[in-house]
Amino acid sequence: MTPHAIVPGTEFLDPAILSRIGNLEFVAKVVVEGFISGLHRSPHLGSSTDFAEHRPYMPGDDIRRIDWRLFARTDRFYVKEFEAETNTNFLVILDVSPSMRYKGTSETGSRVSKLEYACFLTAALAYFSSGQRDRVGLATFDKDIVDYIPPSARHLQQVLYALDRAYRAGATRGPGEQPPAEVTREASGRTPDPDAPLDQQATGRTMLLEPLRKLSDAVRRRSIVLLISDLYQDPRVVFDAVDHLRGRGNDLICFHVLDRDEIEFPFTEAGSFIDVETGARMPLVPSYLRTQYKALVQEHTEQLQRLARERKVDYARFDTSQPIAGALFAYLGARERFTRVR
Amino acid sequence: MSLLAPWFVAGLVAIGVPIAVHLINRERKTVVPFPSLMFLQRVPYRSVRRQKLRHLLLFALRCLALVLFVAAFARPFFKGGRSVDAAGGAHERVILLDRSYSMGYGDHWKAAKDSARAAIGALRPGDLVTIATFANDAAALTEPTGIRADAERAIDRATLSAEGTRYAPALKLAGDILAVSSAPTRDVVLVSDFQRRGWSSRAELRMPPNVGIRTVDVSSRDVADIAVTSVSTDRGSAAATAPVTVSARLSNTGAAPKAVDVSLELGGRAIGSTRVTVPASGSAQAVFPAATVPVSVTRGVVRVPGDALDANNVFRFTLAPDEAVSVLVVEPVAARANQSLFFRRALEIGDAPRFKVDVRRVDSLTPRDFAGRALVVLDEVTPPGGETGAALRRELQDGAGVLFVPGAVAAERVPKEWTPLMQVGLAEVTQRAGPGGFTGARIARVSYSSPVFEAFAAPGSGDFASVHVFQHRALRVNGDSGVLASFDDGTPALVERSVGLGRLLVWGTSLDESWSDLPTQPVFLPFMRQLARHAGRYSDPRPWFTAGDVLDLTRHGELLDGLVARAAPGQPLPPIVLASPSDKRFRFSDSVRAVPLTEAGFYELRGPATAAGSGRPVAVNVDPAESDLAHMDPAELVAAALATTAAANGTAAGDNSTPAEKEHAQRVWWYLLAGAFLVLAAETILSNRLSGTVSA
Repeated sequence: MTPHAIVPGTEFLDPAILSRIGNLEFVAKVVVEGFISGLHRSPHLGSSTDFAEHRPYMPGDDIRRIDWRLFARTDRFYVKEFEAETNTNFLVILDVSPSMRYKGTSETGSRVSKLEYACFLTAALAYFSSGQRDRVGLATFDKDIVDYIPPSARHLQQVLYALDRAYRAGATRGPGEQPPAEVTREASGRTPDPDAPLDQQATGRTMLLEPLRKLSDAVRRRSIVLLISDLYQDPRVVFDAVDHLRGRGNDLICFHVLDRDEIEFPFTEAGSFIDVETGARMPLVPSYLRTQYKALVQEHTEQLQRLARERKVDYARFDTSQPIAGALFAYLGARERFTRVR
Repeated sequence: MSLLAPWFVAGLVAIGVPIAVHLINRERKTVVPFPSLMFLQRVPYRSVRRQKLRHLLLFALRCLALVLFVAAFARPFFKGGRSVDAAGGAHERVILLDRSYSMGYGDHWKAAKDSARAAIGALRPGDLVTIATFANDAAALTEPTGIRADAERAIDRATLSAEGTRYAPALKLAGDILAVSSAPTRDVVLVSDFQRRGWSSRAELRMPPNVGIRTVDVSSRDVADIAVTSVSTDRGSAAATAPVTVSARLSNTGAAPKAVDVSLELGGRAIGSTRVTVPASGSAQAVFPAATVPVSVTRGVVRVPGDALDANNVFRFTLAPDEAVSVLVVEPVAARANQSLFFRRALEIGDAPRFKVDVRRVDSLTPRDFAGRALVVLDEVTPPGGETGAALRRELQDGAGVLFVPGAVAAERVPKEWTPLMQVGLAEVTQRAGPGGFTGARIARVSYSSPVFEAFAAPGSGDFASVHVFQHRALRVNGDSGVLASFDDGTPALVERSVGLGRLLVWGTSLDESWSDLPTQPVFLPFMRQLARHAGRYSDPRPWFTAGDVLDLTRHGELLDGLVARAAPGQPLPPIVLASPSDKRFRFSDSVRAVPLTEAGFYELRGPATAAGSGRPVAVNVDPAESDLAHMDPAELVAAALATTAAANGTAAGDNSTPAEKEHAQRVWWYLLAGAFLVLAAETILSNRLSGTVSA
């Protein structure tokens, strides 16, 4: 899935505008209400329906679900089936690693960091889901789980509060600033071997496997799990980690969030590029590397898409310079599918 | 190729600036934080390296421009001569092989010969080589030859000498050989241990232009050598049988003190041995017990144990009987009281040499009184006539000296036989004292080149101007007589004339204080002794000679005492043979009266009836100065030699080119400058293109 174009009427969902609003709850409200109002003209999504079909009564069925009107017409017992059972669990797993704090430094880069973008999105989705009486939860992680709020119908405020903390932590560290000391310390002393497997190169950066394994143990009820990350890991490793959650019957949605700079690599000046997670330095002349870099990013994305498709995981990549409406569309589309197949 | 302004080469340091700009500053100043280098690290390594070396061509152009600018300002020029190795055509080389005895240190001599052979081996067919060896003097062992075998045989035949090192004669010889060479390229290969003492900055060389000097240094570092550098003897008394105490001086060129056993032999008999510790880079004295030696000339040898340089471990000398110089003073019948007292005391007071003075009245003279006299002083008496006078004249002819002090003697009383010998006319007595407080005449001019006065040449060493002369005899010099001193009125005060082997001197005033106050002046005593030494032809006995010295029998006639009668110039020389330590014989003749002493050891002078082993020994030692193994930088020697040559030629070293040729040789800097500007233009074009590419 590619980033969506701005839907008419949803311009105010521009992340740059949202970033000026300090209250995350208000941001979520603005987003959701604006988004829903925009949907009135949307041909793609309809509201959810309660009734799905009738089926013959089976001993043990609740007699309260018998459709008595149909019994009067047909003299047979039928039970009503509803498509969507509300009150589902909705857990957002949010990557808060240093790389997510990146905010574009080039002229074409986004004005908000990936983490801010993810926080807006999470807040909006949590607000939206809470309005649907879903149980909302949040897990943040970098190398390990940082914060975990189990899904609950009453946890919206806690989720928004946790998001606010993560958001402010990301906002206080501007572009170009050094990564956290502990990360730099871990990365210093050796430069990643370019020939080593990517999962080995990832030492010192976000590790998906362990946090997701722990979360799979924590999430005991089937949930819709939304993973928001920049996914700087080997796609195989990403989906090996995701499989832990899938194995528990959860439905997975994977939002791949990238800054425009990470996609286009628009830099012109030669210089030393520093990995904000590992601290590794590379002297580069970007103009000579741009084509190869973009090809590698594209290959990475395609591999993620392919693996997601194989594992029946909804995958979408987002550019943080674009409005978050696309993300909302993607979520709602996925939620619709998941509820339909239940 | 050389540089006129080599300091500009330091400008190459500026290359560091573009390097810093291209490789260091750029990286440090532009730091881009990026979420992950995961993809960038997967870009093939070579691609990354290319990024680092971006604009390498631009960088190379900038560096090249800088180098060209530096090279242009350094003003390179090409010397007129082609280099030896690169030049085509015949090449002529002179190999100078140091054979001084210091080359016997360790394996220096073998290394030197090997180096000389290697220098021969480096020549190509058609090249010419001359082998020359040198020590004090240089000699060519071969003619310029293209036959390597001949040159190598000459090197094989070369032997160490006992002489010291002198580079100037060797380089002069090489210069002379190469000066007549028509080869387009010429050089000198100097194989030596490069002792500093072998080179004198005053040496004048005339190396031909465009002759290179290549040096092969075979010296060792941290040399250590013990040498016996001199010996002194001290007799307890004037008696011929008095015991002699021998002292030897040792030197140590090593960096550590060394204790050595020093032994003494006299007449082939071991006298004693003593242990001496010679300090590092210093000297020490070994004193042996007093020993009685035979009356005849005795051979002495001082030895120290062998070390890396054996040649200077033995020191040879001779001990001759200490014979006093016999002087006869002839006084007039009516001599003044103490007329010869001052003169006599002046001679007798010293012992180097010792003078034995006898005084006779003129009326008691006999011919026998002159026998064996070194000097006869006629103190205000006329020269004797008759048989006595003839005897004195014979002694004069045979080498004795006569000092004639005419005083107030009437000129007409001088016998006519003496007139042709003296060549000095006696005029009136001049009174220089007067009632006006006049203090007398002065000795205004003396000839410091004469041995009589050379001891007074140094400032403050004797003031003859303070001598007051009240009366003097006016002397008229005739013929070839020499005036050694004059009064302030120009009248000769001291006149000298050689007669046969002897000398006749005439002194214009008195020897006592009656005519002058000279006897009370400080210069009197040394003056009288110098006068007696010179007139009596006294020469210090030589206990030893140094290898390289010349034994001149006309100067060292005392060596023949007891062997043959002395022969006057023009008279046939008696048959005298000098046998070297290696038993080479040199026969003195009328035309050859000097022989170089080249071997260390005891030479022997033999008369016609002298058996081998019973002749007069002549000790010859290696040059002690050669024991100073202080090393000099060969480049310094070459620079000094070429600088001397250049100064003599009035041009730069080895450069005899015309101004036009010089300009031609230096014009390369124009090309370099033009090249630098071209490179800068190319750099501008390239950088503009690259800038456009980046912008696009």
